[in-house]
Amino acid sequence: MAATSTSDPPAPTRRQKKKAKASANEASGAWYPRWYWPSFTVPGIVWLALLFLLPFFTVLSVAFGTVDPIFRQPLPVYQPWWWSFATFNETLSKFYAGDAIYQGPLIRTFAYVFAASFICLVVGYAVAYYAARYAGKYRVLVLILLISPFWISYLMRIYAWQSLLQPDGYVNDILTGLHIVGEPVNWLAGKHITVILGLVYGYIPFMILPLFGSLDRINQSMLEAGRDLGGSPFETFRRVTLPLSRPAILAGLVIVSLPMFGDYYTNNLLGTTQTSMFGNLIDNAVTQAGRGPEAGSLVIILMIIVIVPMLYYLHETKRAAAAR
Amino acid sequence: MAERHHRKMDRRSFMRRAGGTALALPTASAILAACSKPGSTGDATGSSGPVDVARPGDPVTLPLNGEPIPTDTPIEAGATLQVYNWSDYFYRKVLAEFEEQYDVKIEWTTFNNMEEGIQKLVAGQVKPDVFFPTTDYISRLVQTDLLQPLNHDLLPNMANNVWPSFSEPGPWYDQGWQYTVPYVIYTTGVAYRRDHIDDSLAQEKGYELLWDPEYTGKISYYDSYRDALGMAMLRNGDLDPNSGDPAVIDRAREAVSELVGPLQGKLTINGTYAKLPEDEYYVTQAWSGDIVGAQWYLPRGTGTDVLGYWYPDDNKGLIGNDTMVIPTTAQNPRLAHEFLNFFLDKKWGYENFVNYNGYQPPFTTIEPDTLISEKVVPPSLNRAIVTEEMFTKAYVQGQLSADVDDLWLDAWDQIQAGS
Repeated sequence: MAATSTSDPPAPTRRQKKKAKASANEASGAWYPRWYWPSFTVPGIVWLALLFLLPFFTVLSVAFGTVDPIFRQPLPVYQPWWWSFATFNETLSKFYAGDAIYQGPLIRTFAYVFAASFICLVVGYAVAYYAARYAGKYRVLVLILLISPFWISYLMRIYAWQSLLQPDGYVNDILTGLHIVGEPVNWLAGKHITVILGLVYGYIPFMILPLFGSLDRINQSMLEAGRDLGGSPFETFRRVTLPLSRPAILAGLVIVSLPMFGDYYTNNLLGTTQTSMFGNLIDNAVTQAGRGPEAGSLVIILMIIVIVPMLYYLHETKRAAAAR
Repeated sequence: MAERHHRKMDRRSFMRRAGGTALALPTASAILAACSKPGSTGDATGSSGPVDVARPGDPVTLPLNGEPIPTDTPIEAGATLQVYNWSDYFYRKVLAEFEEQYDVKIEWTTFNNMEEGIQKLVAGQVKPDVFFPTTDYISRLVQTDLLQPLNHDLLPNMANNVWPSFSEPGPWYDQGWQYTVPYVIYTTGVAYRRDHIDDSLAQEKGYELLWDPEYTGKISYYDSYRDALGMAMLRNGDLDPNSGDPAVIDRAREAVSELVGPLQGKLTINGTYAKLPEDEYYVTQAWSGDIVGAQWYLPRGTGTDVLGYWYPDDNKGLIGNDTMVIPTTAQNPRLAHEFLNFFLDKKWGYENFVNYNGYQPPFTTIEPDTLISEKVVPPSLNRAIVTEEMFTKAYVQGQLSADVDDLWLDAWDQIQAGS
């Protein structure tokens, strides 16, 4: 109580002075009012409210709103008691009822994200492991070199891939030159593998960085202890290194897979409608007049889908924290 | 009277809220303005009810919103003219010429598709002096008071230079050209590489060239639902490219699905003007202006005679034109009239066409034979030249009613989802 008033305080009693001094001593010589530390969350709360809650509410208002009858632009309804769920239900039914025209993209999205995340993990782990353990004094350099292509815009790099993957591009030149394939392959004509590798290429640095951070911090003596206790290199890896890097693996998987679920430009640039993903459905709906509420509904459905891995991640990190 | 007033207020507040969408954040005023349930009033509003759907056989005279600006309005000196157009749809040197002649600045804002263009205009995010809408939006723009009537005295080039069908009696979407002047005209046909495909084969196959398994993976089609499904309808022998018949729409959907599925056709906007010249595609759905423009994208050493364009012999294909209008919000309406007149000028409109754009303005001064003899259009592309007579035969894609539009979009969604 006494500690909170800052402006024009009444003459402090001796007891208050003593108390203040005591708490000040506790806090390593400095004294802070009670609101001081919690106030540090204010920017975060404002940020969340302005850039997440408010836009999300607007998405809900568009999804459960209507369109103007003339230009068919979305007309958000901001009053929840007037919300209409007709478009949402109709959109949802496109995933399972009738022709289920949205089922294909949904299945593809899951398959692509799982495959691409897995490849990211395997390749990223090897790279991060090498950089952290064997690159010695060059490891920062190795890391910078790995990251350096990403100083160039993603769009530019994907355009480069477009020309590399063309029927008469270098990729086909090499493959036919080495007689791996007889005829040039049309990689850009809706091939699953092209889109999956495009996703891997786009997101793998976000896998490498947390893995590197974690592997780099593993104490060398832990590994030596593993070997001393009779573990083979593989056993040591399996029973020491891997469990210690587990939180980073999970973090990396979450960081790469969540945005992949919403990715649409990788397929736009490297695939066709035959490889369209969930994000493409949203992109199409947003750009067509009259489809605003459907776009909003798709955003909500995608959000519900990605909440599942997110909750699992939170659960896992909580468990790991409790175990420590 | 009170009833009518009430309706009008409804529509106003309605449009204002529509504009709020683009801000993406519910401002306090938008929430307060939403004193009635949005949308519920729209259906009851008689004036906006089912929108008049104009067609060449059923032309509309649009209601007059106010008066055109007086002829003696002085030209706004030192102004910055706001122009809102598709990207890559102007020859910059012509803009520079206008700036120099009138000692003004031009600020050119672009949009990538009509939906985006309309959305930002309706929301008031852009307040252009000159806008370039497609014909299917004209009546809706007038209905919502977004366009101002034109002063015909300030546009002498319409009489001097433009095909009379655009002024007497005026185009089907705007009889008496009260709000619009034409910008460019185009047909939609099939472009092909003559080094891979013979003219005689193209002539024989027509639209079927796009569906020929021989060219699997070498086909592109416009990523635009009206163009894509519309041409598929003609190919299927369904001769109304504005059809609301679910069976016709479904047949068109199947045709496009076949094209992008087994035939590995690519839905893209730059297939004709950029990728066909690079030999990446052999056959593409093509706007005539795109294939004329394609000659400037050919690699060095490749002759223009590799480009071919097929359009039905009887001229019963898809045709269209874009328009220039002056929105109500124009800050420089007098200068905007000068700008319209400038682009209808036989010299500058022609420059814009032949040096960069590839899209032909509907000028009486442009002779098809001269275009060929002066090497503006390669002889192999002679079918890409549009004549006034074609407009009497060809099919125009007009506005669709909301219900029909939904059927088209459902079909398009299914194509886009790859299912």
